Amino acid sequence: MTNINAAVDRPRARWLPSRHHFALARLIACARLRSAMRASGPATDHIVLAIDPDQTAAEMNGVALWVFLTAACYFAALLPWTLPLSLVGGMLLAAIALHLPFLIGGALIRALTGDGDHIRIISLLTMSLMTIASSWIATTTTWARFAAWLFLAVLFVNGLAAIITWVLRRWIAALEEQCVR
Amino acid sequence: MVRGVVWRQLLRFGVLNVPPWTEPLMIAFWSALFLLWGPGRRGVMRNLAVIKPGSYPIVNIFRCYRVFWNYAWTIADNVRFKELRTIPDWEFTGWDHFQNMQAREGAILLTAHMGSYDLGAHLFSETSSRPIVMVRAPEEDPQTRTFEERHGTGKIRIEFNTRASELALDLLETVRSGGIIAIQGDRVTGTIGSLPGTLFGKPVTVPAGPFALALAARVPIYPVFVVRLGRRRYRLIAAKPIEITRTRNRDDDFALGVAQWMAELEIVVRDFWDQWFTFEPYWTESAP
Repeated sequence: MTNINAAVDRPRARWLPSRHHFALARLIACARLRSAMRASGPATDHIVLAIDPDQTAAEMNGVALWVFLTAACYFAALLPWTLPLSLVGGMLLAAIALHLPFLIGGALIRALTGDGDHIRIISLLTMSLMTIASSWIATTTTWARFAAWLFLAVLFVNGLAAIITWVLRRWIAALEEQCVR
Repeated sequence: MVRGVVWRQLLRFGVLNVPPWTEPLMIAFWSALFLLWGPGRRGVMRNLAVIKPGSYPIVNIFRCYRVFWNYAWTIADNVRFKELRTIPDWEFTGWDHFQNMQAREGAILLTAHMGSYDLGAHLFSETSSRPIVMVRAPEEDPQTRTFEERHGTGKIRIEFNTRASELALDLLETVRSGGIIAIQGDRVTGTIGSLPGTLFGKPVTVPAGPFALALAARVPIYPVFVVRLGRRRYRLIAAKPIEITRTRNRDDDFALGVAQWMAELEIVVRDFWDQWFTFEPYWTESAP
């Protein structure tokens, strides 16, 4: 295929760290790939696995749900209603609020830099906004501070995973090469 | 309104700006919002009532959401491939049939408005050594048509089924020179010729073009479907080829071919009802 990075008929390539986005997920994928390489794989039909960091459903859906629920908790804690009603309102507000970085940010970046792929910068912007909101909520006395602590803790663990994957980068690259070859 | 260019522009903007880790939220949100699109929702629900007889309307609303959800993912994946060259994961069922189609001199690929038929055709055109012509209905909205032309079709050649008589000769020439013609064979649009068939026990009409072309060019028809299995994950299903054999009675030749096509289509629609993107009532008599 032209300009397309894919592993053909390599079912274990499902666990390539390169198919994962966040450092923590890459590190977990690395461990899974290593054990998959040791095990004798099942015979499979023709399969083409794209090598793209945003390819893994569990990681992307998991992060989406986690970010959404965290944002919903923050909004719910700010609403003056009863908890069940606040949670419903929080979810609605979170769904709308999570559109803002890409709608406003994307439009601004497009106006400044022109049409094109702005996913990295919007991703950074959204995560930064979530981190700022979490840092603030974590210092309050609302029940949502637990969600904020969890968010910051996961960020910290992901940071540690980033350091580990950087240290192991040559070994990971060799493992991937061995899997795809 | 839903056919206006603004939705295409918004989709493209989303694909170029939404972080992949918030994408499931966006798709869930917009799929729910599109449930407010009355004609589309009612069309899908009427079709579901035939595919799943005895089903409750309330359950079919949730099923309708699944159809919209899958549709949103497939059109997003298609735009992502065109704009960012990002491919999904692929699995194949009936790989031998698919290889045979590519190996032979000329064939007709018959598909349906299922899963990501558009993405499948574009990817197939990138990997195949054979010229591929995709025949489809043109966009109704002129601005949408211009937008689609501007935002690339890759190596695939697209022909619109509005100029039936000249197109038939062009397609015959293409298939005789070894090309592959990809046609959607589940829906008759406009004034194109049709043939009678039966789907889920009810009478329907299907486009006559692919069957007439197969008979004229003496090539088989390969039923091929592209279904979505999950996030950026698809399966290409290639079924046994349909041979249109010429006898003294042309109507019988066509009827036999259409019956085989209907059988394949029914199997796939039954298994993947949530990916049959037919937003108009398919069986008009099924209206309550």
